[in-house]
Amino acid sequence: MADSAADEKGRDGMHTSDELNSLRTLILAPEQLEITELKERLNDPAIRAEELSRVIAEAIVIRAATDRKLATALLPTIEEVLRDSVKRDPRFLADTIFPIIGPAIRRSIAESLRAMVQSMSDTLEHTFSWRGIQWRIESFRTGKSFAEIVLLHTLVYRMEQLFLIHKETGLVLQHVAAESIDMKDADMVSAMLTAIQDFVNDSFSAREDSSLQNLNMGELTIWIEQGPRTVLAAVIRGNPPSELRTILKEILENIEFEYNSALDGFRGDAAPFEPCRPDLVYCLTQAQKTDGRTSREIAVPVKVKGKKQGKEKGNEVLFIYIAAALCIIIVIIGFILSIQ
Amino acid sequence: MIQKKICMLGSFAVGKTSLVRRFVENMFSDKYLTTIGVKIDKKIIELKNQSLTLVIWDIAGENGYHQIHGTYLRGMSGYILVADKTRTATLDSVINIHKTVTQVFHKVPCVLFMNKMDLTGQWDVQESAIDKLSHDGWDVFRTSAKTGENVEEAFKRLSSKMLEK
Repeated sequence: MADSAADEKGRDGMHTSDELNSLRTLILAPEQLEITELKERLNDPAIRAEELSRVIAEAIVIRAATDRKLATALLPTIEEVLRDSVKRDPRFLADTIFPIIGPAIRRSIAESLRAMVQSMSDTLEHTFSWRGIQWRIESFRTGKSFAEIVLLHTLVYRMEQLFLIHKETGLVLQHVAAESIDMKDADMVSAMLTAIQDFVNDSFSAREDSSLQNLNMGELTIWIEQGPRTVLAAVIRGNPPSELRTILKEILENIEFEYNSALDGFRGDAAPFEPCRPDLVYCLTQAQKTDGRTSREIAVPVKVKGKKQGKEKGNEVLFIYIAAALCIIIVIIGFILSIQ
Repeated sequence: MIQKKICMLGSFAVGKTSLVRRFVENMFSDKYLTTIGVKIDKKIIELKNQSLTLVIWDIAGENGYHQIHGTYLRGMSGYILVADKTRTATLDSVINIHKTVTQVFHKVPCVLFMNKMDLTGQWDVQESAIDKLSHDGWDVFRTSAKTGENVEEAFKRLSSKMLEK
């Protein structure tokens, strides 16, 4: 009796379940079909690739126009591909770039010649003009090199040092400096700069999102650019153009993006940040006044102190040659005059 | 090369700056301590076959943690508490500083320098109090900035604790 009642109850339950399923199918069939299709599209790599191929070109164009992050992300892959290509068949790449090698070499030679002529012209002007003689006396008097004195008098601005600092610890991640500048220990300066920022924030109850951006002392300016985890401090002599600050901002953004994982796991080892050094060196620029014009040129990275630098040595040699030539000319003129 | 930030903490005139002066070779002028309340020094040491750069933040002595610029401690890998063997109050002060620092910065390695051990006639802190701290797990070093006693060893102990972490 009890068994038959249970059977009947079970049959009723199955019947209700079937009805519910039928009802669900009737109401939700179109949506279920769409969901199934979407699932298939998401799970099938071939379909995903095909869909991505339709928008990838536009996406690249849009992103490339927005910032440099795409280029930064692609750079290691492209470098690797080029390296592999050269390893496999160097002739292929040589043939590809052959048409541009000639013009590039010609342009480089022309540029070098122009720079040499300009340098000679500057040297002659600085050597024989009254101003040049004054600067040479100043050089003897102060013990600084003649080139340094000329630079100080004709300088519009010079980016002298850049410190990439880990924001939380104040430890230096990278430091670059232009040659022939007097500099203190980068680790200590970096920490002290961090302490000064903390001091200003603490002492003047600054808002958490505000930060120290400039320090000025005589002709020296320190620009401080803040990222979420890094700080870029630039030591500049003279009056830098404002676009330089934009370049610094972009570089800092790139570093934050490119070294995201290295910054997350930073435990005092600055080695992973070595590859960003060229980007920082790129910022070490200077501009000088030449005949009322302003020229912009790249300052080379600092060299080992105590060694006489090539260009400076070259200028000294040129000066000696010119002085010797002048003496000979004066002697000849004197000899001719004495004969007459 | 690995770099580590360490902070020197302790009351006024316990000998923090003298200890640093005894230990390091590169220093900024002491005037920064009185102006912005911190002075940075640096020392490179060799430990476990690797070079380690210690960037030492010598923080101006105050009587309690709340009087110290807390932001100066941010990002430190270790800290040194300095007490004066001739003044018991300085030991109480560093114990309080340690408690507060531990609440804010969890499990940062630290060592305690019981300084001015050379002033034997003026000792005030009981040896039993120091032994109790050692028993409680503190790394205590009896140091003297004047004679250099244990200074190098204490810094190295902190360095190896930081590397182990």
